[in-house]
Amino acid sequence: MTTLAIENLSKTYADGTEALRDMSLLTHSGEIVALLGGSGCGKTTLLRLTAGLDRPSAGAIAIDGNRMSGTHPAISAVFQEPRLLPWLRVGGNIAFGGRRIDPVERRRRTAALLERIGLAGYGTRWPKDLSGGQQQRVAIARALIGHPAILLLDEPFSALDAFTRASLHELLLDLWMELRPTILMVTHDVDEAVFLADRVVVMRPRPGRVHAAMAINLPRPRNKLTAEYDLTRRNVLRAIDRSLAAERTAAAGGATVSPWL
Amino acid sequence: MSATPSPRPAPARGEALRSVAIALILPVALCLAWETAVRTGLAPGRLMPPPSRLFRTAVVLAASGELQTHVAATMTRVAIGFGIGAAAGTLLGMLTGANAPGRRLLDPSIQALRAIPSIAWVPIFILWLGIFETSKLALIALGVFFPVYLGTLSAVQGVDRKLIEVGQVFGFSGLGIMLRITWPAVLPIWVASLRSGLGLGFMFVVAAELMGASEGLGYLLLDGQQMGRADTILVAMIVFALLGKLSDGVLVALTAPLLRWQDTVRAQL
Repeated sequence: MTTLAIENLSKTYADGTEALRDMSLLTHSGEIVALLGGSGCGKTTLLRLTAGLDRPSAGAIAIDGNRMSGTHPAISAVFQEPRLLPWLRVGGNIAFGGRRIDPVERRRRTAALLERIGLAGYGTRWPKDLSGGQQQRVAIARALIGHPAILLLDEPFSALDAFTRASLHELLLDLWMELRPTILMVTHDVDEAVFLADRVVVMRPRPGRVHAAMAINLPRPRNKLTAEYDLTRRNVLRAIDRSLAAERTAAAGGATVSPWL
Repeated sequence: MSATPSPRPAPARGEALRSVAIALILPVALCLAWETAVRTGLAPGRLMPPPSRLFRTAVVLAASGELQTHVAATMTRVAIGFGIGAAAGTLLGMLTGANAPGRRLLDPSIQALRAIPSIAWVPIFILWLGIFETSKLALIALGVFFPVYLGTLSAVQGVDRKLIEVGQVFGFSGLGIMLRITWPAVLPIWVASLRSGLGLGFMFVVAAELMGASEGLGYLLLDGQQMGRADTILVAMIVFALLGKLSDGVLVALTAPLLRWQDTVRAQL
């Protein structure tokens, strides 16, 4: 049971860009939260801050009540690009995520994950010999080998074709069912958010902040072809429309931030 | 990122042999032409001896054991000088590349020293270190140091920040990042800088041996000049070429296992 609390987080970069203003978010253990928004709404900034790769200008991130500084062993990530280490073989790349695990267990988990991601027998290949989708599967396995309490996903499926993306969604949900990490994912794909998330947080740009948050109460496994799915999807789209309209009319700065859901 | 397994583009064996054959046409033709010109009396051949004379000279030098002594002396100097220069260049390059205060402190001075043509160090090395081995090794090491240092430094600075972040997210820091991310990432450029360092090592061993040595291929060059033996000089030059090529090949072969992961056309030998 791990809670991730993002409290009044702000980030202004050295060049003066205000990427994130007063963002708050509380995740419950094992839930999937999708941060949805266009470019410039600070979603990637939020993820980088949560991963400990950047320092916030104000506010804090706490795990189980402990403020974090820098990277945290309970937090793992999959990036937009696979970011595999080209000098490690596929198995070595998966094992790289399991630094804190004892070596025997690490080998066992690597083999099991290779099987789970459909790449059994690929353990001794080089990353360059894999397709983009296969590389991203390896990146997911690398992120999960340490059984993280919190998994951050930074648009990891955006560069993939629709078929590969759908199969990776299934893979992610399978692994999530098994390991139950809290997933905080960033996406600009409404379908992806509705299909995967328990909660969608729509963000607004310049500066990045929360516009609206809504629960997705669809039973799993989700069927994209039902009327309820469609309705939920339309609700999310409506929220995005309102955020765009608000942005057009809003005076610069000063907008209030909606509370956590 | 390739969508399909991409085997390294290796030319078929037959094709490789053919390109070797094509490459040999010009040198072989020139050798034959020169040999014919000297044999038919069209050219004197005293200052430009024909290939058969060079071959005989090489055989005589080898049979007396003289050639082996010179090769051993030269190669020992190159090996020791290269080892020292490459080690120092790698360590300092890693240090200044990965550490901004270190870079600000050291790099300007090193760059200033680099502006001095390496051969200009010879007189002061001889004054400081004597005319025997130490000054020769220092000169070779100095020549090797700069390309290795520069290559390593720029490679460390060029490491993809995204991969460093991967190391950070998965719990590595400081030395762990250095060993698990930075070092493997710089290997290809490091190897390339070692190769240019080795080339300079050979250049400076000649300079060192020309300045005064009692053995070594550079000495053989000088001896040939003083005795008016063009054939000796040319044999020494050819042996230099062979040794340079051979040691570069050994270096590439030794480092090849480190670079098998590269998604590029393999560096040509």
